[in-house]
Amino acid sequence: MSKPILSVNQVGKSFKDKRIIENISFDVHKGEIMAILGPNGAGKSTTIRNIMGIMYPDEGSVIFHNQAAGDIPRHTIGYLPEERGLYKKAKIIDLLLYFAELKDYPLKKARKRALEYLAKFGLEGKEKASIEELSKGMGQKVQFIASVIHEPELLILDEPFSGLDPVSQEVFKKEIKELAENGTSILLSSHQMNLVEELCDRLFMINKGKKVIHGVLDDVKKQYANFKCTIRGENDVKTLERISHVQRIEQEGEQFTIYLDAHIKPTSWLRQLPDSINIEELSLDRISLHEIFIDIATGKNALQEAGVQT
Amino acid sequence: MKNSLKVAKWEYKQNMNSKSFIISLFLTPLFFIAFSLFPAVFDALKSEPEPVKVYLHDEIGIRDQAETFLKSQGVKWEIENISTDEVALIKDKLIKEKNSAFVSFSEETLKNGEVKVYTSKKIDKDFNKQVQLLKSPIQRLQIERLNIPEEEMDVLTKGIEIEATPVTEKAEDKTKDPLKRIIPGVFAGVILFSIVITGMMIFQSASQEKKEKVAEIVLSSLTSSELMQGKIIGYFALGITQVFVWILLIIPFIAWKSDIPILEYLIVPETLLLLLIAIAGYLMFAAIFAGIGATIEDVNTAGNFQGFVLLLPWLPLILIKPVSANPEGIIAQIGSYFPLTSPGILIIRLSMMESWPWMEIVISLVILIATIWVLMKLAGKIFKTGMLMYGKNATPKEILKWLFHS
Repeated sequence: MSKPILSVNQVGKSFKDKRIIENISFDVHKGEIMAILGPNGAGKSTTIRNIMGIMYPDEGSVIFHNQAAGDIPRHTIGYLPEERGLYKKAKIIDLLLYFAELKDYPLKKARKRALEYLAKFGLEGKEKASIEELSKGMGQKVQFIASVIHEPELLILDEPFSGLDPVSQEVFKKEIKELAENGTSILLSSHQMNLVEELCDRLFMINKGKKVIHGVLDDVKKQYANFKCTIRGENDVKTLERISHVQRIEQEGEQFTIYLDAHIKPTSWLRQLPDSINIEELSLDRISLHEIFIDIATGKNALQEAGVQT
Repeated sequence: MKNSLKVAKWEYKQNMNSKSFIISLFLTPLFFIAFSLFPAVFDALKSEPEPVKVYLHDEIGIRDQAETFLKSQGVKWEIENISTDEVALIKDKLIKEKNSAFVSFSEETLKNGEVKVYTSKKIDKDFNKQVQLLKSPIQRLQIERLNIPEEEMDVLTKGIEIEATPVTEKAEDKTKDPLKRIIPGVFAGVILFSIVITGMMIFQSASQEKKEKVAEIVLSSLTSSELMQGKIIGYFALGITQVFVWILLIIPFIAWKSDIPILEYLIVPETLLLLLIAIAGYLMFAAIFAGIGATIEDVNTAGNFQGFVLLLPWLPLILIKPVSANPEGIIAQIGSYFPLTSPGILIIRLSMMESWPWMEIVISLVILIATIWVLMKLAGKIFKTGMLMYGKNATPKEILKWLFHS
């Protein structure tokens, strides 16, 4: 794996007596997309704000590897905060050039990039418009451009998809992928698992300020996401419970979701299903990040039940 | 500093592009000019007052002299000579007429200095003053009758003037010119006013930045103290531009309306000290506005505490009366030492005092500069925490906590 750009080591932060995050450690490598996932209030934004030097961690350290210790390389970081906003009366192009100037990025290049990005995001010809003339979605696009205008080495996006319509979400996803392919390291936070699942290389799932899962997406899926079998048909729960390797069953009318033990072989398991089961439809797939996430957020510890070591 | 200048440039440009700022920039001097023209316009519109009709009974042949003298004093009467026979009827005539008077010069006038004057019931309110002017030609005629040579007569008729002059250590030049002090003082006062007014915009700008939630993205590129400094420099430049435009429009107007050589009065070393006081005043209020502005998200729901802060620059107005009555008095001195009133009061005092109290000026400036230093530090602390606190206005209790626990 390429060398890390950013290392977060055992960072902790409290407000008054309340522990917001503790013992948070991860790296972000060059050209990868690293996701911090977790429900609202899990500590994602606090972690990011500690990285950005907007807050200072009570313990632990944040190291930017291309920088002297203790310094935040503001000019090579792009940041899209969770709290979105722009100067409402300013013209779009003025605003983008101001943010580029704050990062010491050459203005001529910045203007060219700004116009290219505006065209790419469907805002062509709007550069002279003021922010207050734009819709919320358009405003978010301008903010995204502002965070990447100076070609940052490290791009930190706090909930980049919140408030976007599906079409804009796709545009952002595509752009984030492209940036990573071109060598930008990306750290993003989100509570929208389905979007992140398709996007990130590695993930760090956090709940109540503590690490829940950390690793490469595929490994996490292989390791943690057990299989589940969904059957639709008239059946008795008791019959289904008698099948081997079943952990628990959720019933919704005629639909049964059967959660299976770790490390089963799907084909062997399917073979041993009794003939008496009524099957209208059947599907077998892994538990998605989304479901793990829901379980965490609602307090059910599906991971423990699935025998996952955290 | 480089980043602060970028912020300053941004704030300056954004305001210079704002229609409301440009409008107020030009409207203020235009209002000034319009208001100073009003009296002249009213005068022009007002019809000339009817001249008083004066029935003159002149037994001593003074009419020509009197008339010439009155004319030289700008008094216009419509004079009609009447004979001794008509004098008996004059009272009846005056009862019937308006704006008329009867004046009688007789030998008695020269002997006893007695002039008989009757007026109609309604008469020009200035007539009483005007009639006093007749003393001078009468005296002259009295002296003429004494056969005193012309030169001696001049001495006698000149009158006596008594003026008390306070004794000071310095050799005073007797030609006191109040404008010498007042013009640089007014100039510095206008600058202080202008930059404090734009300084109030820092308050709004910091609060707006919070409201528009843009602070976090800006603070990812620079430090909070750079952002605060940038705002303070930017709005200073804006205030100075404002004064420059005002002066550019108003000075030619004043030069046209009066003969005062304003620039000659302004280009003196004293102006520099007054400017320094104005700038110090700006820096002090700018720090307060930046700090408190950063605690407010919605100006409309700001508490009394924050609203009160905007009134601070007007504090010297309370003292203006006692200070101008006695610029060397104890109230004036306290006003100069107390930092919040110091810039305003110093400028007022120095515009009025012929010799400046240097010791007091130095002490006041030391206190003022120390206050600025402390306020900048405190404002920086409040600004840093305040700018990133979303969703509500900070309470005074919270602000105190930021000051002492961060």
